[in-house]
Amino acid sequence: MASKILAIRNVVNKPLNFFVNKIPQYQTTGYNLKNISTTTIACLNFFNKLPAEKLWKSVTSVSNAGAKKGRGKGAGRIRIRDLNRGQIIGTGKINMLWPGLSAPVIRGRELLKQQRLPDDPERMEKLIKLRDSMTRFRRLRLSPIERGWSGSRMPGRSIGAPDPVGDEEFTGFDTKVLQLRPLLIMKGSLGRTRNYQAMVVTGNGQGLAGFGIGKAKEAPAALRKAKNRAGKKLMNFDIYNGHTVFHDFFTAFGKTKIYVQKKNEGHGLKCHRAIKEICQAIGIKDLRAKLEGSNNLQHIVKAFFVGLLQQRTHQQLAEEKKLHLVEFRAENEHYPIVVASPSVVRTKEEIPKDETLDFNQYIMNDRVIFRRKKFPRFYETMPHYEIFLKKYEKFRNHEKIRLNLKVEYGEIKSFLTDKYPEPKEEKET
Amino acid sequence: MPLPPASGTGRYFAKAAKSIRLLRHGCTNRPFFHISVTQRRRPNSLPVIEQLGSYDPMPNMDNEKLVALNLERIKYWLGHGAHVTPPVAELLGLAGFFPIHPRSYMTAWRNRATERENLAKEAEKAAEDKDA
Amino acid sequence: MSLLKLLKNNTRNVLIKCNESQLIFISSRKLSIVPSSYDGENPAPKFFSSGIQILLKRLTRPDYAKVFRKRSNSNAPMLETPQYKFLTDEELQIEKEKANQSADRLLQMPPVVKVHEPINDVLSKDPALVGFDSAKYLFTDISFGVANEHRLIVERDPDGILRSCDHDVRKRLNQIYFPMLGRKIREPLIFADDEKLHSLLDRQKYEYVLDRACVQYEPDEPKFQKVTSITYQHIDTNMQYDLLRSTRHFGPLAFYLTWHKCMDSLMFELVQTGAIREAVLLMSLRHAVHGDLKNGADSDALGKQVLTTPVQLSKSEYLTEEDIQLDNKCIECLDAYIVNNSTMKSQQGLALQGFREYYQQMVELSRGLKKAHGTA
Repeated sequence: MASKILAIRNVVNKPLNFFVNKIPQYQTTGYNLKNISTTTIACLNFFNKLPAEKLWKSVTSVSNAGAKKGRGKGAGRIRIRDLNRGQIIGTGKINMLWPGLSAPVIRGRELLKQQRLPDDPERMEKLIKLRDSMTRFRRLRLSPIERGWSGSRMPGRSIGAPDPVGDEEFTGFDTKVLQLRPLLIMKGSLGRTRNYQAMVVTGNGQGLAGFGIGKAKEAPAALRKAKNRAGKKLMNFDIYNGHTVFHDFFTAFGKTKIYVQKKNEGHGLKCHRAIKEICQAIGIKDLRAKLEGSNNLQHIVKAFFVGLLQQRTHQQLAEEKKLHLVEFRAENEHYPIVVASPSVVRTKEEIPKDETLDFNQYIMNDRVIFRRKKFPRFYETMPHYEIFLKKYEKFRNHEKIRLNLKVEYGEIKSFLTDKYPEPKEEKET
Repeated sequence: MPLPPASGTGRYFAKAAKSIRLLRHGCTNRPFFHISVTQRRRPNSLPVIEQLGSYDPMPNMDNEKLVALNLERIKYWLGHGAHVTPPVAELLGLAGFFPIHPRSYMTAWRNRATERENLAKEAEKAAEDKDA
Repeated sequence: MSLLKLLKNNTRNVLIKCNESQLIFISSRKLSIVPSSYDGENPAPKFFSSGIQILLKRLTRPDYAKVFRKRSNSNAPMLETPQYKFLTDEELQIEKEKANQSADRLLQMPPVVKVHEPINDVLSKDPALVGFDSAKYLFTDISFGVANEHRLIVERDPDGILRSCDHDVRKRLNQIYFPMLGRKIREPLIFADDEKLHSLLDRQKYEYVLDRACVQYEPDEPKFQKVTSITYQHIDTNMQYDLLRSTRHFGPLAFYLTWHKCMDSLMFELVQTGAIREAVLLMSLRHAVHGDLKNGADSDALGKQVLTTPVQLSKSEYLTEEDIQLDNKCIECLDAYIVNNSTMKSQQGLALQGFREYYQQMVELSRGLKKAHGTA
């Protein structure tokens, strides 16, 4: 009972909008008797004896045990709606014209009178629609071009060029987020505190690129810090023929090992997604990278940058070896093109017998990429696949024959079709 | 290659009799023959010892029947005493490798006879039509 | 070849009497080209003689940048990662030798031979076989290791005659049993349809047409010689010789033009572009093929001298005294040719005069340079 009385007091103290028109009579009886009848009306029911918050709480709350089980989360959860939205004072279920409330008192020279207008049958539907739109679970949707590696999360997304330093502007630069993660630290006074750490790479796609790490209390601040730091640490990389690295190389940072291979034009970037973003920032278009050991993202980035910086140009290699460096391209019928010549060339007698002369072996420092054994596809070992192959043996050339017939006659027919026409044609005639 | 190749996986018994014969490949309504050497007393569904050629009995666009013969290997197997079945002997005869098989002459003679009969019948019919 | 000249001047629809005395209707929209083939004297002995082969190879003016260019029709279906090697001087020299050999392979000229004679060889007649079958029987010997041209291919006709097959049937059966990559059993549309061939020629896809013809036909086939002669004449009328330079088809083109004595526009192009030494080589080619030049012996001697000098891919900036001497001799030799044998006297004379003036300037410049450097 006591709680009921308390609740009533609450209602009185904070009158809600839908109570405004119906002032509780029993309260004002003491000093405003003129306007009121003596009979008391009990305007109390379940819906108006409690405030809206409490009512909503009763609907949406989940028991402690349920919350532990994960109830009341996700798409099916009930949400609080603002039932006042879309409702205007002076309008209601019955469409009345109230001069001075929902309409002007004087329109033109005419004094408007209170009158009933025709009902709007769709009013309720509109209201329900509006209320439904409030509760619908709306996920942040990005266009496929804008989105990063997964969904609407930051890694892989572009966050624009770094902020200008003084008068220097970063024109043509673009920054990609590689990592954004919360770091949790226990503090004696504050308990568990949350910091954000971001790693980004920025580049202009023409050889200039850099990466940066930023930490802040909030994610956007961390990203901004990382981006600006990356802009201040740009490095210049030479790109071979504007599309790939100068040679294969091995690089490592901590336990992360990367084998990078030079590839031909049109091969594309076949590597870890972070390495792909870095390559795009630098302007490398064709490359293969194989990762071994730890896949710690910061280590990957650092290892790859270190590897790129330690590349040697063809001239340097030729000078190191004191031999001509000659390029053979399959598309040019293996015509030897001398890409670099040293100032002094050694003769065959001057080369020691145990020296590695193979270019790849020399450049990879005798390291070899581990090639895993290729397993057959899961269906290839099954008996039904053999049956299929045997059956298909008869039809193996049919597709080609059909194509040739179409080229020759414009349809699938042979020189015998005129003599022995298909039964279908007979039916038509 | 899931199916065994047409040539050269059959079991070979040195002393068993061999035969050079036509083996029907192809499908329903579309005959196509391999000329193969096989064990004489073996069903035709088994792999052959060696394929020696092919024969396409359906005339092509230019009204030709194509026959391929590996004469070098045919000579080898004949030297080893392989038996030649009449259809193959007929083909070899037409190719000028063997003397013409008597059956070819018989077929030709019969065809000519039926042709002559048909002509005579037609002539009779024409004469009757004229009389009528 | 005066006929050809006459044709070039024709622009209206004309009826022309051909050498086989048959009437051919030629529309004015297409170029009025009469295909010709090597059906008279056999050109093979002359074409394959070492002197003429050397001349033709030199006239091709092989530029390795073009010989080893990236081709869309090469055997490599996709690009590969380039390979690298560390080489000493001697090894590099060996690699370059290998490259020269593969250049020779890439520039190997399609043979120029006489059109083949039809095969008419009855092996046996057996009238008792008449009526055996209404279809022809074609027998092909598919023994291992026999070359296509020596393969035994015979036919048994419905009238009982056993005979050797003619060339077109031989080619078809060889293609059926021993297919050649790229060759079609049915003639491709670009050769069967004149419209398509001419549209290709108008787009100047000469090399493509000639390459396709080499794959589709044998060199002694009349159709091959017809297609190539049309292409060569098209190139000749449009003066697009540069499109065939550094390819294997330039030698046969030069030989064709020389054989039919209509190489004057090629000569004109050579003089105009200042390739005076190659013009002399062309003269000696003419003399080697026909032997009808008045100063033939001079041009032969000069040609031998020119062959010892390296190929001039671009105009040289600097002339030595020997160069000047040689070039002056070449100019004199050409002058004699233009006066005596040329059919384009005025144009070639003007072009040679232009070259002479330009060359005089070059000579003065290089002599002045020499003096300035104090090396004279």
